[in-house]
Amino acid sequence: MSFHPQMPYGEGWHRSQRRVPPDGPPFAFTPENLARLEDICSHYPPEQRKSAIIAALYLVQEQQGYITGNAMQHVAGVIGCAPAQVEDVVSYYVMFFTRPVGTYVVQVCRTLSCALRGAERVTEALCRHLHVSPGETTPDGMFTVVEFECLGACDRAPVIMVNNEHWHECQDPDKVTELVDALRSDGVAALSGCHLVKER
Amino acid sequence: METVALTIDGKSVTVEKGKTVLQAAIESGIKVPYYCYHPGLGIDGSCRVCLVKIEKMPKLQVSCSVVAAEGMVVQTETPEVVQARAGVFEFLLINHPLDCPVCDKGGECPLQDFSYAFGPKGSRMEFARRVFDGEGVRADVDFGPTLMLNRNRCILCTRCVRFMRDVDGDAQIGIADRGYGSEIATFKEEGVHSLLSGNLMDVCPVGAITTREYRFKSRPWDNPTAVDTICTLCEKGCNTTVWLKAKPEWAKGAQLARITPRYNPEVNGYWMCDIGRFRLAWIESEARLSQPLVREGNDAQTATTWDHALDTLKRLVGAHGSEHLRFLLSAHASHEEMFALSRLARQLLGDRAQQSCTVSWAASVKSQPEHTTFSVPPIDAPNVAGARLLGLTSVPVGEAEPDLSALRAAVEAGEVRVLYVLDPGPSGSLGDTAWIVDARQSGRIASLVLQGVLESPLAAAADVVLPGACFVEKEACYTNGQGRLQATARAIPPPGQALDDCSIIVRVAAALGRPLDYRSAADIRADIAATRSDEPGLQGIADMAFAQPVATHHWLEASNPMERWKWDVMFQDLPPVKFEEMLKK
Ligand code: SF4
Ligand code: SF4
Ligand code: FES
Ligand code: FES
Repeated sequence: MSFHPQMPYGEGWHRSQRRVPPDGPPFAFTPENLARLEDICSHYPPEQRKSAIIAALYLVQEQQGYITGNAMQHVAGVIGCAPAQVEDVVSYYVMFFTRPVGTYVVQVCRTLSCALRGAERVTEALCRHLHVSPGETTPDGMFTVVEFECLGACDRAPVIMVNNEHWHECQDPDKVTELVDALRSDGVAALSGCHLVKER
Repeated sequence: METVALTIDGKSVTVEKGKTVLQAAIESGIKVPYYCYHPGLGIDGSCRVCLVKIEKMPKLQVSCSVVAAEGMVVQTETPEVVQARAGVFEFLLINHPLDCPVCDKGGECPLQDFSYAFGPKGSRMEFARRVFDGEGVRADVDFGPTLMLNRNRCILCTRCVRFMRDVDGDAQIGIADRGYGSEIATFKEEGVHSLLSGNLMDVCPVGAITTREYRFKSRPWDNPTAVDTICTLCEKGCNTTVWLKAKPEWAKGAQLARITPRYNPEVNGYWMCDIGRFRLAWIESEARLSQPLVREGNDAQTATTWDHALDTLKRLVGAHGSEHLRFLLSAHASHEEMFALSRLARQLLGDRAQQSCTVSWAASVKSQPEHTTFSVPPIDAPNVAGARLLGLTSVPVGEAEPDLSALRAAVEAGEVRVLYVLDPGPSGSLGDTAWIVDARQSGRIASLVLQGVLESPLAAAADVVLPGACFVEKEACYTNGQGRLQATARAIPPPGQALDDCSIIVRVAAALGRPLDYRSAADIRADIAATRSDEPGLQGIADMAFAQPVATHHWLEASNPMERWKWDVMFQDLPPVKFEEMLKK
């Protein structure tokens, strides 16, 4: 029942993926974050305030690290939409986390080009090395492995992004152990960076 | 009106400019399936079953999203279209559980009907179906206080999402885990809490959303009869259809299976509220008054015959003199009843008749989202505007509460010896009645007569109880809050010995020696027309047409009766045979 020789197709895919967001601690934007959000909202017509939803959710993650039920409710109140619509967005985008994440969020692209160049092998190797499953965080709170959608660097597939800004291109599944160790010792400096930035 | 002319399947079709190809096809009776499009919810373009071939366009088009243009040539039956459409249906059924035998929608389900008509013969799917049952998750879940949601059956048309967002005004439903994990979800699994939630069952084209009230109660083919009527639970007066279940006389349980909205763009659009939809258990309940009751002295009430009850009434009124008689009418009374009763009052009391009649009703402010496009008015009675037209209440338009001060003052002053209450509405429809019960018990009112439909403290305190008929049991006219004259229809007979309220009033008048020359409610309507022809809200009352029970058979054959507006357009030549030619192929 699988298209793929090693990865069983469909396990879990045929189940509800839904996880009701836990309430978490009480949440409210800090005055600075609220001011930043209001500034972003001012770019939209007042009746389209809710267009700022992605920005608002990034701010939540900046402030709290992850997005809880309380945070969703707060965001809904601030930008003027229903909490269900906020959850709709949060549960869609891979870059929004609904549980605490590690210091380094290692996001492995799994979209077409990367998949063809063996992104699954990278994920498998990472997970094996760190003893976690995709989406989980190591017990020391250092690494979270996440499968991601296209990072826009398809010509250097497979691509990894760490913490939303730091790239690592042309990842080789066999070099995962080295990369993780380098990250541990040198931080994001261990990453190859984006060739476009470097060549500029 | 600007129009465009196009050709669909070789037939030339003219539609209003701006309409889509799908709307043009529906209007001209050409069969194109659709799920995500709903005339009340607009276009979404997510289900892809409405595919057609439009000449000069390289790919097949989703007809719901293409605006009809002058000279367009559309094909809906070419092999290319047929095959592509069948492919879409095959995909729709990949994860669908096909549990039609236990599904409430089975029999009136667009997914069933369209799949038979347009889908492939079988499925090639070899993999496990997607199910939502699993650890800690169930497919069939509570979806708020009125609904159940079965996610396995959902085809993700997003009609429910759009209904809550655009009509209800509070987007409580969203799609969680969009992508291969898409599922319909409410925030924190709280379910839908809305006064309009019942409509979600109507818009859902499969059995994913069902109402608890109707769930497992009846199957479509068990409801062979339906009657078009109106809801009388508030002054909006939504147009509805009541469905009657076929059951032997001796079988327990209600005959009234459900109430569904009926399209009327002027009044309720495609929708109705949960009050009107779900508040129907009282109609055939044990609490209905089904026999005249009489109390002698301070004894308990005893069941009796109509003759005896009317004799008693005559004796009571005679003993106190008719000048001390007052009438309290519920605004659930129809034009006919109000008019007949006020004429009786005039015959008994002459000039003072006007002051002797008071109209009461209940009012409650409904909490609804600010931006709802379907607001339920605060007045919980169908005929307050009618009472105003007939001059029975002076409460101005816009005022929700009735004015009972004059009657209360008269009762307190001991001027009312006999109070005649007419209330064909559900419990609470007169508003607060404790003061009347109190006045009767303390003797400030000597005799209380109730013409009503339900057991209540008021009925228990009455000396004479005359059992009447509620709105589904009689043909009667009402004027709604917009000033629109509408009529109910007789779907079921009144229980036991209960009678149509108009004929009770005529009998009462005869018993009191002031007969009214009415032989039927039609005579009363003619009289209203003759004396009140100047009122626009009463115009046409003499020729009011009342719907008769109809067989639902052909709707079932035609597909989802909830979408009858569509089939009425598509099949001018009723009774239609469901896609017969296609099934034969
Ligand atoms: S629950 Fe029904 S209405 Fe809502 S998306 Fe699913 S099939 Fe459509
Ligand atoms: S809005 Fe009023 S008339 Fe319409 S269904 Fe509800 S109670 Fe009945
Ligand atoms: S597919 Fe991986 S970066 Fe585009
Ligand atoms: S009706 Fe056209 S795509 Fe759904």
